[in-house]
Amino acid sequence: MTDDDRGGWIGRAVARREDARILAGESCYLDDLPEPEGLLHAAFVRSPFARAEIRGVSVLPGAGTALVFTAADLPGFLPVRSPPGVVTAQAPHPVLAPGEVRYTGQAVALVLAASRALAEDAAEFVDVDYEPLEAVVDPARAPELLRFERSGGDVDGAFAAAAHVTRARHAIPRVVAAPMEPRGILARPEGDGLSVWISAQDTARSVAGLAHALGLEPERVRVALPDVGGAFGSKGTPAPEAAAAAAAALRLGRPVKWAEDRYENFLAAYQGRGMQADVELALDAGGRMLAVRARILADMGAYLYVHSAAPPHTCAMLMCGAYDIPAARVTVTGARTDKVPTGPCRGAGRPEAAAFLELTVDQAARELGLDPLELRRRNLVRAFPHATPLGWSYDSGDYERCIDRAVALVGPERRSDAECVVGTGVALYVERAGGQFEEARVALEPDGRVIATSSAGPHGQGHETMLAQIVADTLGVEPERVEVRFGGLAGTGTFASRTTAMAGSAVLLAAQRLEREGGTEAHARFESDLVFGSGAYAAVVEIERATGVLRVVRLAAVDDAGRIVNPLLAEGQVVGASVHGLGVALMEEAVHDEAGQLTTASFLDYSLLTAAEAPDLRSAFVQSPSPLNPLGAKGIGEGGTIGVPAAVGNAVLDALGGRHVDPPYTPAKLWRALASPAVGPS
Amino acid sequence: MKPAKFDYIAPETLDEALALIGEDSRPLAGGQSLVPMLNFRLAQPARLVDLERVEGLSYIEAGSTLRIGAMTRQAALERSALVAERWPLLHQAVRLVGHAQIRSRGTVGGSVAHADPKAELPVALTALDARFHVRSASGARTLSAGQLFRGVLTTALEPDELLVEIEVPALPPRARTAFVEQARTLGDFALAGAAVVLAPGYQAVALLGAAAVPVRAHLPAPLDEIDDPYRRALLAALVDRAIAQAS
Repeated sequence: MTDDDRGGWIGRAVARREDARILAGESCYLDDLPEPEGLLHAAFVRSPFARAEIRGVSVLPGAGTALVFTAADLPGFLPVRSPPGVVTAQAPHPVLAPGEVRYTGQAVALVLAASRALAEDAAEFVDVDYEPLEAVVDPARAPELLRFERSGGDVDGAFAAAAHVTRARHAIPRVVAAPMEPRGILARPEGDGLSVWISAQDTARSVAGLAHALGLEPERVRVALPDVGGAFGSKGTPAPEAAAAAAAALRLGRPVKWAEDRYENFLAAYQGRGMQADVELALDAGGRMLAVRARILADMGAYLYVHSAAPPHTCAMLMCGAYDIPAARVTVTGARTDKVPTGPCRGAGRPEAAAFLELTVDQAARELGLDPLELRRRNLVRAFPHATPLGWSYDSGDYERCIDRAVALVGPERRSDAECVVGTGVALYVERAGGQFEEARVALEPDGRVIATSSAGPHGQGHETMLAQIVADTLGVEPERVEVRFGGLAGTGTFASRTTAMAGSAVLLAAQRLEREGGTEAHARFESDLVFGSGAYAAVVEIERATGVLRVVRLAAVDDAGRIVNPLLAEGQVVGASVHGLGVALMEEAVHDEAGQLTTASFLDYSLLTAAEAPDLRSAFVQSPSPLNPLGAKGIGEGGTIGVPAAVGNAVLDALGGRHVDPPYTPAKLWRALASPAVGPS
Repeated sequence: MKPAKFDYIAPETLDEALALIGEDSRPLAGGQSLVPMLNFRLAQPARLVDLERVEGLSYIEAGSTLRIGAMTRQAALERSALVAERWPLLHQAVRLVGHAQIRSRGTVGGSVAHADPKAELPVALTALDARFHVRSASGARTLSAGQLFRGVLTTALEPDELLVEIEVPALPPRARTAFVEQARTLGDFALAGAAVVLAPGYQAVALLGAAAVPVRAHLPAPLDEIDDPYRRALLAALVDRAIAQAS
């Protein structure tokens, strides 16, 4: 059966139905919600020190009628969960700092007043007696918070037998997610529990996080999502401040709102990346990869969030990349630094793995005098399913086709003249997506409308458009007749590029069941193992000798996300993620000084790429359907953040003739590298 | 963040405004820098004197010199055909100030009086040898750029003084100008920049990012005192590029 036989809505570039409302300013974000009677606004007293003992908190008369709460009033911790095999120390994030602060910006006291401005005024009269302690900022000198080891195949034997071993060290700095709408919550006591509006990625993890922090049964926490202005991974679990606001609402029997500002978001929202790795690649005389070893040091920060361990775990598990490497050993050490914690940020371990491995592959090619594309081709995974030595199973893919398309699109270039150096870089990636479960319900209304309800939590992706297409395709109706709603169903959450594969498949199954069994309503639950998307990215960069300024001449993005439901939305994800990834590669870096102070705490010091800097980007898709879900879909939301930094990194190192520079590739660093002696052979 | 408490007053005449400003007051002239500083509570004045409604402070007039009222919007300077034709350096520089939304609120005098070392207009005005007319309740004086700009966010203005007009002399005959800068992104503050005015028998350059204030010099630009080798190289390249563009 072809798409056309079924109405042909899957695979069609349908325009986003969300946009008219958003562009007209009719969205309702958290801070736009009508304010309930008696609402109190929250501000926080935050630690000015990276590490200090709290000797006491006193409220001075200037605070007036504001209400002030500390950890003594609102105890509690956020939940922690570890991926399989990850050993963690006991370090859950406290709702408010009890007895000690462990990062600059950590919330010490909650201040409630009739407006946010009054709450901030009152916060200046909360006197915290700190005994500052020495801060540990360097992850290499910090105590261990997390450990993960995984080994498969005869790693030691492979290294002993290797004709060549490439050894590389790479570092990727911390970054911030910077969603356009920062975090926030509106919590209202109701009945035996709380009704909560929260700016979050999904309801499932919001309920779980708040219930744990407040010591309530999950049934007593009812969560609804307003429009959410982006998350990029940073709203996957409630903030401690959100839990504090909810706890205060419960305790006072009054509604409480916390709508954070950009400064709070910079200081206290969990950051992403922050990993370094020693990578060793063993090769035989024919350029076959025999084994990979990686020791990854992750700068975890002060506490573990529920999903803090996921990025370093994902990074480690992906250290075989797109290659058929028979043996691998990975070790992750998570360091407890006195900095704001880390967590998922678009890509979440996948960009780190791609950069660590792909930059090492290019280095190996330079050392062996091989074409880096040829070295890749000799080692690609070509048969699926493919079990990696680390224990993941790639479901489908066509990596060589991705490389061929990317190279053709980018048009490789390499030259060096008096003005500029130009280089080309290619990087492959494999990413995990999907897994676990989602639910859906599809109902026929008497007036002919179809109502599809999903457990997903949209925050900018276009889920309404995509899910309506799936229902329309299955039932043979126009998408306009399909209304899409969210909430009230069980699900895992909206993260890790999983919604099309999981929530989309659940909607598909519900619609198919309705079609098959008749009646007016059908429900479905879809569960699957992980699916593995892939892609090849390629970049040509030009670096000006006089200034070190880098220009991306051309960027090619070839993604294999399985079957594409909506090529327009998919390309939108590729463009957005690629520009995001390029910003991370070129200039994003969250910097803490030696005292643990964040020196990049506003957009004055931390820049995001803008449309004006978006490069000549050429996107294409290879579609290797996943056998693990009825749509054949994988994930597309993160590919650009994964592929771009690695491809640009290889292009930069190609242009620099192998001189080593870690991202971000700022003009100052590139200028200094060009001023330093060349390395050979290149 | 929200600003600390302050009184707000919006006088309608210059005399009223001059009577209101002083030690505990800050004039508000568009607010594109001061309002963020208030929100961060880095500035906590007791009183804001909003110059928005003061009559007679917003104009662009040209005779033998260019006279710009201190409350002239940056966007108005950007759109002025007269300025683009006779003082092209100002047109070249103002387009690099922040984003369009910022320029539609921000004022020329506000940018000058804020004296951010990364701001474009003070550098362009320095290259053009502009004069800054200042008033207080008790008198008036005129300062050169070298006299006005004293350091990071610091000018020679006394708390009871207001910048009211910027006067720019005519360019030498057949002058050509260029303003170039290096910023991380379009609209971001510049890391370094250079403004040049070239004419037969005349050359002037002003540097952004060489010191805490705009540095005016003749060519070759004096870069030896800049410690950071990268910044020195960047400025040298930007000066070269500006000369090439103006030649």
